[in-house]
Amino acid sequence: MNEQDDPRLNARRRFFGALGLVAVAAPAAAFEADGGTGGLPPQKESEAEKRKPRYRETDHVRAFYRTNRY
Amino acid sequence: MARMKFLCDSDRCIECNACVTACKNENEVPWGINRRRVVTIGDGKPGERSISMACMHCTDAPCAAVCPVACFYGTEDGLVLHDKDLCIGCGYCFYACPFGAPQYPRVGNFGGRGKMDKCTYCAGGPQQDNSAVEYMQYGANRIAEGKLPLCAEMCSTKALLAGDGEIIASIYKERVQQRGYGSGAWGWRTAYREELPA
Repeated sequence: MNEQDDPRLNARRRFFGALGLVAVAAPAAAFEADGGTGGLPPQKESEAEKRKPRYRETDHVRAFYRTNRY
Repeated sequence: MARMKFLCDSDRCIECNACVTACKNENEVPWGINRRRVVTIGDGKPGERSISMACMHCTDAPCAAVCPVACFYGTEDGLVLHDKDLCIGCGYCFYACPFGAPQYPRVGNFGGRGKMDKCTYCAGGPQQDNSAVEYMQYGANRIAEGKLPLCAEMCSTKALLAGDGEIIASIYKERVQQRGYGSGAWGWRTAYREELPA
């Protein structure tokens, strides 16, 4: 029998392949907790966008102010 | 223009730590980091006082003044945010901050701390608003959704106030007038260099 057709050898290759993927993914997951982008492409705002006012006085915010006066 | 501030009414805070839990949950803050914490003075004794503390988003932020890579920036509504892609984890901001706000994810070899993490006022960071990468690095961007920081919105006794400084000061003023006394807006003089009009 050809070595490539041996089911035991193929199963072993799949097992070590999966193990390799885990070994690569685990440090990547740790990197996310470390403040990295976790492999996602950055989508940076421009300098003006970064500093723009973000606050809006919506109904949700007005309800917060109103209930805090009780 | 509105100037965003936090105000903790220590007469109302019951040290339930809901603000801490809400922050950790909303922003998926990594293990070992607390962007907000409750400090209690005289714990278990009559007259104990608790106060919920996080980054106060100072007017003249000392963290920004000492950062060697200028990773901090201020928004027009008074928030102090930072860029984690620039942060080198030197720890200078931690030493400079009067409120102990900057936190680091790890203690590594040769003093490596990882990227600094702190309260973003639930306003994300320099990545596009409400993008997946912004959430991954900085947590939720509730301000872009027209909301306020979850810690304040969750507070069951309404001790923690967030929002437009003038409005929350007027809310606090009403409370002080009703009670007949006030313990002051703790941290305001340090963070904003002004007194609460009473």
